Amino acid sequence: MDAFFELLFKYRPLVFEQGELAFLAPGSVRLALLAAGVAGALAVASYTVARGRSVLVDRVVMAVLRVGLLGLLIFALLHPALVVSSVVPQQNFVGVLIDDSRSMQVADAAGSPRSAFVTDAFTPGESALLQSLADRFTLRFFRFDSRARRIDGLQELTYAGTHTDIGTALEAAQAELAGIPLSGLVLVTDGADNGARPLTESLLPLQAAAVPVFTVGLGEETLAPDIEMGRVELPRTVLEGSTLLVDVVVTQVGFGRATVPLVVEDDTRILAEEVVELGPEGEPVVASVRLELQQPGAQRVRFRIPVQEGERVDRNNAREVQIEVRSDREKILYLEGEPRHEVGFTRRAVEDDENVQLVVLQRTAENKFYRLGVDRPEELEAGFPRTREELYAYRGLILGSVEASFFSHDQLQMIADFVSERGGGLLALGGRRSFAEGGWSGTPVEEVLPVILSPAQSGPDGILAEVKVAPTPAGAAHAAIQLGRGGGTARERWAALPPVTVVNAVSEVRPGATALLVGSSDDLPARQVVLAHQRYGRGKALALTIQDAWIWQMHADVPLDDLSHETFWQQLLRWLVDDVPERVVATMETERAESSEPVRVITAVTDSTHIEVNDADVLARITDPLGGVKEVRGEWTVERDGEYAFEIVPEHEGEYEIEVTASRQGAPLGGDVTYLTVGPSEEEYFGAGRRTSLLRRIAEETGGQFYTPETVGSLADDISVTGAGVTLVEERDLWDMPALFLAMLLIMGTEWGYRRMRGLA
Amino acid sequence: MRPPSRARATLAFLALSALPVGCDTGATEGRLERGAGPMAQEAPPVRRPTRQEAETVLRLPPADEPPGRHAFYWTRAIYSGSRGRYGWGRPAWATDFPKGDRQFLVVLERLVHLDAYDFENAVRLDDPDLRRFPVIYAVEVGYMDLTQPEVRGLRDYLSAGGFLIVDDFWGSREWAQFEWNMRRVLPGRPIVDLPLDHPLFSAFYQIDEIKQVPARGRGIFGRPTFERDGIVPHVRGIFDDHGRLMVVINWNTDLGDAWEWAEDPYYPLEYSTYAYEMGANMIVYGMSH
Repeated sequence: MDAFFELLFKYRPLVFEQGELAFLAPGSVRLALLAAGVAGALAVASYTVARGRSVLVDRVVMAVLRVGLLGLLIFALLHPALVVSSVVPQQNFVGVLIDDSRSMQVADAAGSPRSAFVTDAFTPGESALLQSLADRFTLRFFRFDSRARRIDGLQELTYAGTHTDIGTALEAAQAELAGIPLSGLVLVTDGADNGARPLTESLLPLQAAAVPVFTVGLGEETLAPDIEMGRVELPRTVLEGSTLLVDVVVTQVGFGRATVPLVVEDDTRILAEEVVELGPEGEPVVASVRLELQQPGAQRVRFRIPVQEGERVDRNNAREVQIEVRSDREKILYLEGEPRHEVGFTRRAVEDDENVQLVVLQRTAENKFYRLGVDRPEELEAGFPRTREELYAYRGLILGSVEASFFSHDQLQMIADFVSERGGGLLALGGRRSFAEGGWSGTPVEEVLPVILSPAQSGPDGILAEVKVAPTPAGAAHAAIQLGRGGGTARERWAALPPVTVVNAVSEVRPGATALLVGSSDDLPARQVVLAHQRYGRGKALALTIQDAWIWQMHADVPLDDLSHETFWQQLLRWLVDDVPERVVATMETERAESSEPVRVITAVTDSTHIEVNDADVLARITDPLGGVKEVRGEWTVERDGEYAFEIVPEHEGEYEIEVTASRQGAPLGGDVTYLTVGPSEEEYFGAGRRTSLLRRIAEETGGQFYTPETVGSLADDISVTGAGVTLVEERDLWDMPALFLAMLLIMGTEWGYRRMRGLA
Repeated sequence: MRPPSRARATLAFLALSALPVGCDTGATEGRLERGAGPMAQEAPPVRRPTRQEAETVLRLPPADEPPGRHAFYWTRAIYSGSRGRYGWGRPAWATDFPKGDRQFLVVLERLVHLDAYDFENAVRLDDPDLRRFPVIYAVEVGYMDLTQPEVRGLRDYLSAGGFLIVDDFWGSREWAQFEWNMRRVLPGRPIVDLPLDHPLFSAFYQIDEIKQVPARGRGIFGRPTFERDGIVPHVRGIFDDHGRLMVVINWNTDLGDAWEWAEDPYYPLEYSTYAYEMGANMIVYGMSH
């Protein structure tokens, strides 16, 4: 297309975009042309008065054609030209950045790797492209993967990098070429970027310095046939024995809607197997894999689809995820405002769960409490906690049928803060003293709840409705409300449970909240939200609006060996507390790094009331794969309260254990353990098709151009007119554009043909 | 299904008729299968009140309302067995019914912060609706003679998570009768004395001594508190495999009479106080475990 444009208009579109139109004819010529124009106009006018065989239409048509011809002639005689800033040959530099990562080894359909283009295009003496660039610019070559460095020749390229970070490469090249006249950067890559930082951060300095980036995209956009495991959603930590419903994103091209096995395994055994039905061509599908992790400790879990016959890329079929299986006993406080069967049955449902400790504080009379499951005789002796320190010792809080006026305002605020600041899990149960009926509207806790409270309807005329509970689409895919293994889908298993009752009409969830279970009844004005959840601050809040889940255990229609009730409560309470933050949390930007790649570890430190601590002593004990131990001290980052950072540079391949402990004036605040896997990554093979959109965006945002190997021939010309570097103003004639003469010929031919047709010639 | 359907039936019957408590009106709910024991009897017949009777006189909830308006329904177990000779006479389950139940509920609600249904509620052991009431109460179990469906119903009830409170039976003969029936319900499960440090004795009140609560006649006339050879009172229990107390047995004592006659100025306060304390403890414990 560009070539055809150039044939007609003499220059490429980019030149027109960069240049400005000017007329170079001297003033006397302009005057003569003006006179000629007037003469022409008079001649045209004569058409209107001339008599003969012609009618009015004929005269108008011929007048228009003549005026058009005259106009083109005048345009040409005015000596039109494009004024462009063009770089001075050999006065400017161009940086050529060549992708040196493993994805460059991916072969195209003909079997030739992407790196072949680099060899063809940049081998001295053999390449017209290199020659054209070298004629006008001084070239500087760089190789890049996760880092970038100058190279002197193609022989330094290995195509073995395990990460591609285009942003870092652009920054490094710009820094290296700072202070010299730079006409632009040429980025030769497939665009398979897996850098952690947003690319925009790296483009801003280039935009500020007006350095255009010319991107050359290699490889095919779609590699077919291929199956790729896109993403695996797994929490960072999980309680031992928890059931996980892991979402795995799988994309296929060229295999149709076939079914393939999906295997989940750790180092020694297969943990789960599922059959996945692939989605439409190129569209990701989410497959759910049910998984139970029984072995405590840190583990690497591998999700893998066996390589299918004919796959173009066979190393993008598996993902490894690091997960820590905790064997802790999570303490949950259950406050119940009155004796209810729900207490006994809930306690019984979770009593076999070694990882959940349900502490019950049940009001049995005014200011009299029945405490169950406490660790110490003095625990909760005075009733519901009055201090944050006391409440924050729990990871979850269940509010049963208890009215809001039971609490002081400080306690209500403390409950809201328990979720938002401490990051605890709050579960509100239905009951005659719950939700609106319990006066919770207008309290600090109201907005924590994931449901919108309806006007209260209590007393003898209050609502009592029997609801049959069913999962919503979101619920059917949620691990917490799966009812154990066995026949049938989640929906079928819920349908088999007997109805339960509600005394609080709740029909709406808050914006941002998700309903997982709903129920319907003729006695309710609208569909009842039975279970909903939302994130609130650092924690999560759940509402279970039924008042007698114990019926799922006790009802005569439920077989005695049915474990739905136990499973429901165990999973619900585990979910309630599964991501409650510890007082000390260590995180890294990446769980996998290459040898000698620096990794920053951030540690968030809070005290017993979960207020950030800025004067803590943070010490990290790093154990390398060979057993060597090194201690590093974390420094407060100042950017954020309670955040400490240190950097480690791994030297050996394998698993690094990073144990962080924090203390304040000698008093321990807590600790955390995190793991770093060091070694080559397969990341390069994921999303290995050419990322045209990304490369086009880089070019457009910096004022450059995007090319493919087929269109890259004009690269040198285009860089010449970008205006960057040392430039001079150049006038490029337009009067001799073939298009101009073609247009004149066309008008003359048309006039002649018209006269012939009308018998005027 | 409505909660206290049996309760409503019995209650309406009792409240609206001039007949003595527990008498057969002739309008039967249905016949029960005969039990295999030596004293096999039919469960007592129950007459359903009309809807108008139920709603206007007793102000009971609508007929189609499920149990759930209240957190607790004090529920009597209706079982086969009567106190008369040769299987005739007053049904054993209905002893002190309903006055004892109502009076107990009045005081219980004053003592315990409990949302209880104000009336009595009685359900047959072989009725599937029994499973809507996780705490049930059985008296005079020395006359119990369960039918096979009742055995199965009670076994499933206890296995599912139900809690049975047993009261008001005396001496070794009645114990033997009760034990024989419980062996059919829970074969192989030992019946053990509950020590005073068991949480049952501290669930609401701290109870440090198991007292023998006499029947009304013995209490107000100051006669010996025991009946027959039931000289020593016991609180015994049956546990499941997880250590959960399924059945609490008050033997050689009559809590029900103390609840029923607590307003009698001649009935010793000591006994009615203990009876209410035990009642509150058993209910709070049963609803929490």
